[in-house]
Amino acid sequence: MTMGLWRGLRALPTWTVPVLCAAVLLLLPAFGLGFSATRQIQLACILALLVSGLNLSLGYAGELALGQAAMYAFGAYTAGLLSVAGHTDIVLQLAAAGLAVLVVGVLTGMVGLRLGSWSLAMTSFFLVLIVPDVLAVFDDRTGGRNGLSGILGPTLFGRPLGPTEIYLVIAVVLVAWFAVMRNIVTSRHGVALRVLKQSPVLASSMGISVFRMKLLAYALGAIPAGLAGALFANLDLYVSPEAFGFVLATTILAAAILGGVTSVYGALAGAAIMQFGPNQSSRFQEFALVFTGAFLIIGGVLLRGGLAGPARRAVARLDRAAGIRPRPGAGAAEAAVPRIRGTELVVDGVSKSFGGNRALDGVSFRAEPGRVTALIGPNGSGKTTLLNMVCGFYRTDSGRILLDGARLDGAAAHRVSRAGVARTFQTPSVPDGVTVLEAVAAGRYSADRVSVLSAVLRLPRFRRARRADVAEAERMLALVGMAELRDEPASSLPLGMRRLLEVARSLAASPGVLLLDEAASGLDEDEVERLAELIRRIRRAGGTVVLVEHNFRLVLDLADDIVVLAHGQVVAHGPPAEIETNPRVLAEYLGATEEVS
Amino acid sequence: MTIIWGGLALGAVYALVAIGYNIVFISSKTFNFAQAQLMMVGTFVAYTGLVTLRLPVAVVVLLATAAVTLVAAVEERLAVRPVEDPETVLVTTLGAGVLINGLTQVVWGGQPLAVPFFGGDGVLELLGGRVYPVEIALVAVAVALVVLFGWFARRSVTGLTLLAMAEDREAAMLRGVDVRRLAFGAFAASGALAGLLGVFVGPKTFAVATLGASLALKGFVVMAIGGFGSMPGTLVGGMVVGLAEALAARHLGSEFAAISVFAVLIAILLVRPSGLFVRTRERLV
Repeated sequence: MTMGLWRGLRALPTWTVPVLCAAVLLLLPAFGLGFSATRQIQLACILALLVSGLNLSLGYAGELALGQAAMYAFGAYTAGLLSVAGHTDIVLQLAAAGLAVLVVGVLTGMVGLRLGSWSLAMTSFFLVLIVPDVLAVFDDRTGGRNGLSGILGPTLFGRPLGPTEIYLVIAVVLVAWFAVMRNIVTSRHGVALRVLKQSPVLASSMGISVFRMKLLAYALGAIPAGLAGALFANLDLYVSPEAFGFVLATTILAAAILGGVTSVYGALAGAAIMQFGPNQSSRFQEFALVFTGAFLIIGGVLLRGGLAGPARRAVARLDRAAGIRPRPGAGAAEAAVPRIRGTELVVDGVSKSFGGNRALDGVSFRAEPGRVTALIGPNGSGKTTLLNMVCGFYRTDSGRILLDGARLDGAAAHRVSRAGVARTFQTPSVPDGVTVLEAVAAGRYSADRVSVLSAVLRLPRFRRARRADVAEAERMLALVGMAELRDEPASSLPLGMRRLLEVARSLAASPGVLLLDEAASGLDEDEVERLAELIRRIRRAGGTVVLVEHNFRLVLDLADDIVVLAHGQVVAHGPPAEIETNPRVLAEYLGATEEVS
Repeated sequence: MTIIWGGLALGAVYALVAIGYNIVFISSKTFNFAQAQLMMVGTFVAYTGLVTLRLPVAVVVLLATAAVTLVAAVEERLAVRPVEDPETVLVTTLGAGVLINGLTQVVWGGQPLAVPFFGGDGVLELLGGRVYPVEIALVAVAVALVVLFGWFARRSVTGLTLLAMAEDREAAMLRGVDVRRLAFGAFAASGALAGLLGVFVGPKTFAVATLGASLALKGFVVMAIGGFGSMPGTLVGGMVVGLAEALAARHLGSEFAAISVFAVLIAILLVRPSGLFVRTRERLV
């Protein structure tokens, strides 16, 4: 009976529950809430906005941004100063506050993101520290440390707003922002952010600009803080620097950790707990910091994923109990490799040293469309270094890398990827928290570009791209024989499957050049055969394949050309039959000197 | 000149925080957000020992060192060791910092407490400026610590092991280095240092619960200027930050003190993102 109810609930679209909650929130004043309860809910809503913005940068982009309190202050003062100047329209104030913090976010993010993981945390935290000082510098306008008073009551289209209407404005802004947040997170941009958090290297090899994506998440995350500030200024009609200090900054972080940073609605739970918990009773006021600190430690150590983690597991358990299965993948039958426009990759006299170690020394080779070019050589001979040079992770010391005649060396990794070079990694890199299908579809991120705005508004262009993403990803999964796994969590796959997933992801972009770095190691016999067959089909479809491989049999079996590297130099180059009998190769690579002499 | 002495002494305090950051960073590549709060606890214990209990200086130093070492050890066990990824360590050590902040507020209250300096507080004339003995002591201690650490890192087995561990944790493990014990030791040592320094820092900054956040950030700026993991860098960074703050406060007004440090941070990040004393390394796949 209860299971039947659950099945019915799960059959509804995923937005049903949030929409119902939003309706309840908007209808609450009709039940005649008291002043104090209303105020607590309003403050919890404002806190939830701050927390949600932090989630976007910390949970999804993996960048700790401690400056939400400063953005909040900035929004509040923007709205307050507008109001003092007579512009009391709430919509105008919200727009101005949102825009102002977006600008501050972009500027501080551009600087803060330059130095790896802690610098944004510190730069943005520093913003919080200098808020009172900046306000003091302009104290003739802002009132300095005494606070800004004289804020007029908000209006909407010239009509003054009463307490209930202010409540409604706050609730509407909250609901609207969470809709935006949900649309970003569930779109391909959300998946791209998770990829980024998992591995910046992987992200840039998929054509995602790491810097721009992090900046985007951080700057977008500032917007709800700015809106929250504008709402707060209109709620209290007074703002002072004390409201935006260290305590608030850490409260926001604690609420985010408690609710779960990698979730959309966890922010609501976290904000509610912090608002009705430590912030509430004045008896505990002096212990507020102690509680916040304890929450941060406990949340970080024990509650990996915050309250959203157990909630997700509970849903999954109920699903299993109710017998809800993911739909089987469609399109498993028609799994032909589409025609690929392969491009010619030329490596011309490339050298690279790390300190005194000459990793590559004048390496040249050519990989052509419709052919499989294998790079072989003992460990440390420079195979992976060469792939990394092609992909733009290392700069060449000398020599050129050309893709259909265009210079590739010197380009950033994400540009190389956008030029049509896709690769897999020795250690497969699979993002957390996405399904197999999403992980494969992420390979198309740069191939078919859709703006964040179009994802937020779910414009036709976004919907088209999403349909194409799903169709293409399903076809790629069918090609590697994993169609039935489409809705499994990608990070739960065993090693062999992860490798095939990487191949599918690289193929999804229909790359001009496909670089496979030891794609067959760790696969069982069956999987190796499947991979070999797939590579043959890619070749037949016109793709350019570069294969780095230790499995000598497989290489002889598959490759059209073999390039043998040793000590960073090409020692032999030719078709398999030639390489198999080349004495130098046997000596260097197989260590079979006695047979040759 | 008086301003410059004051700025240098302030810079020395920030450099001391950065030295603490560096010890932990070198040993475990993590960042202890609570380092400044540890130092703050040191100043409070120094206050209690010197003013409330009227104990001899040597006893107070031992007491503060022991107390803060203990706090740091507990922090490492509860907030650092159980956590795997460095981003979460940032969160949990910040949590530890906030917790320590809250507890000191509960125990010692929110008012600034003046900590007397054992070397006296008579003003000295030096190179045409007035300077307190504690200010000279702070600069001397910071320089001495950097020299001492450089010597320790090159000459002692533990120091060399630390460097090896910083270079490649797994390789050090394979060589039989007990990485976790050493990381714990370094963490505790950074705590001991913070406690020891309480009697020097307290007289300059007062013992006050808001000290932590501001010291933490300035210490970070020092590290950003000098380069992560570079000990000599902390001295230069401390000098830059301390002087910028003191000069801005003197010539532009006190509200520009923190803003000018922020400006320095921005400039450094734009011009030389890896710091002045650390060479950039190409990333590895």
